[in-house]
Amino acid sequence: MREPLVRSDARVIAGVCGGLARHLGISTTVCRLGVTALTLVGGAGILLYVWLWLLVPTAEEYARNGARSFDPRRLGSLPAAVQRDFARGFGRGPGPDAADGSAGAQLFRPGTREIAIGGALLLAAAAVVLQMAGVNVAWGTWLPLLAIAGGAVIAWMQLDDARRTEVMDRAGATGTQGVARLVAGLVLVVVGIFPLVSGTGSLEQMWHAMLAALAMLAGVLLVLAPWVLKYWRDLETERSGRVREQERAEIAAHLHDSVLQTLALIQNRASSEQDVTRLARAQERELREWLYRDRRQEQGNLVDRIKAVAADVEDTYGHPVQVVAVGDAAMTPRHEALVQATREAVQNAAKHAGGTVSVYLEATPARSEVFVRDRGPGFELAQVPPDRLGVRESLIGRMERHGGSARIRNTGNGTEVELRLDHVEEGTTQ
Amino acid sequence: MTEPISIVVVDDHAIFRSGLKADLDGRMQVVAEAATVEEAITAIHRHTPAVVLLDVHLPGGRGGGGAEVVAGCADLLGSTRFLALSVSDSAEDVVSVIRAGARGYVTKTVSGAEISDAVVRVAGGDAAFSPRLAGFVLDAFGTAAVAAVDDELDKLSARELEVMRLIARGYSYKEVAKELFISIKTVETHVSAVLRKLQLSSRHELTRWAVDRRIL
Repeated sequence: MREPLVRSDARVIAGVCGGLARHLGISTTVCRLGVTALTLVGGAGILLYVWLWLLVPTAEEYARNGARSFDPRRLGSLPAAVQRDFARGFGRGPGPDAADGSAGAQLFRPGTREIAIGGALLLAAAAVVLQMAGVNVAWGTWLPLLAIAGGAVIAWMQLDDARRTEVMDRAGATGTQGVARLVAGLVLVVVGIFPLVSGTGSLEQMWHAMLAALAMLAGVLLVLAPWVLKYWRDLETERSGRVREQERAEIAAHLHDSVLQTLALIQNRASSEQDVTRLARAQERELREWLYRDRRQEQGNLVDRIKAVAADVEDTYGHPVQVVAVGDAAMTPRHEALVQATREAVQNAAKHAGGTVSVYLEATPARSEVFVRDRGPGFELAQVPPDRLGVRESLIGRMERHGGSARIRNTGNGTEVELRLDHVEEGTTQ
Repeated sequence: MTEPISIVVVDDHAIFRSGLKADLDGRMQVVAEAATVEEAITAIHRHTPAVVLLDVHLPGGRGGGGAEVVAGCADLLGSTRFLALSVSDSAEDVVSVIRAGARGYVTKTVSGAEISDAVVRVAGGDAAFSPRLAGFVLDAFGTAAVAAVDDELDKLSARELEVMRLIARGYSYKEVAKELFISIKTVETHVSAVLRKLQLSSRHELTRWAVDRRIL
């Protein structure tokens, strides 16, 4: 069975010769030489080439069409489907699905290419007829333009479908309006610039010069755009890669300073269970703070201070202190007293009860409350000797001096200290 | 409860899975383990366990972690309960997995006995709240506004508020019951109601709270 006739990917111009050679089972070079030889016979080679270029699908188009031809509805109208496929040629989207529904969103709609080619041929015919009728057609102007257009088409064909679509999307050139805007913008710019540069000149001179400038500009632009775009994209990729690298380095530095150091310490102290636990807890807290810190929360506020107190006690006594905070409040001298009282309460809990200490802070506009709960044996205030000032002075006395209150109660399963500070008189104390 | 509770453990760290298995008491039995989102969804559908112990951070899937597993097993939510486990304390992780349908959340540092209790509670259809989760609830719903009607989704009732406060203060369900002179069953009812509100409420304050923390 013969290889299907498709345009080759290994191409010089459009892959016609390569495809034809494979189809006929001859060498590509022989095929190219044959076409070149035919060209010498009145340009027949060129005609053949262009004709095949238009009608022979690329391998990709062929595969897509083959996959679709299983559809029974399409079997009868296969030629039409093939035709449409060729017609779409230039402006196809990145994937097989785009060839169906979304093709309308592409720059070139199905049939556009046929119409363009037909139009161009008609124009050429008209030009020939006009010249025969005696009108002077400026071949000298049009042929270079055509050459430039051909060059641009070849240049753009070097970009794969996906890239091409992306370029169109980026330029906002998808859809008729987009193209119209682009063209109108270019024309305006050129029309605006030209009189500035040329100063005073005859209309005819200006027209010729403008045409030349325009053609040059468009040619350079069209031919260079794909490469400029490619390098620009590569640059962008590299830049974002560098940013990521920087971020990674920062994280690595932080982990090295904290976690790795702690892990080394833990290995050193592996024999002391208490040390290991303490180190692990402290490191966990620090890392957690770094990872999950609520960024909206201002530093130095009540929650921050209470957490610092808890961390401090945890480090000193080696018992976990769990802080749950709801709301937050700005620090005032009275809140300072609340923090000091909390420290005393947490310290007592860690010292005398052991185990996990729970701290709950609730700050509303009306008041701030702190609950410190432990699961120790509990104690009665009445049994504390009068000369022990810790609880009476540091907790109750301090809170009452600042217009708050402190309550200590035995829950039956541990002690709970309740510190409360109403905000109502805030205005007078600040 | 005579028959052991069937459990699937989902965590990407094998050491943690084996430690957890050793910690769970005799009332439950681990029937399967999974380490990624895909594995978890497959294993849960195959075994339909009573409870899934679910790590919040999991590799695989679309990067959604535990919440994605819960979402992937939405058809089983009637029979299988999810208990989220995490080292993370961040509201993002906790609340997103709860709102996906998990019935509780405990930190990985709690003791085996506590996890076992939470599993039994979740298996019985109740909610397992840690102090931290209660704190998030209070933060999200506010501590001042009180619902006039109990089933108003956007606010907590006065009683629910009390229960949440006590849990946030470190009280166990039993201690909460004793403190408020109600039965443990009633405490569980209140906590389940709060869980339902947390999962269903679309109150704009809650939404904003969540959006601020990039949860929703």
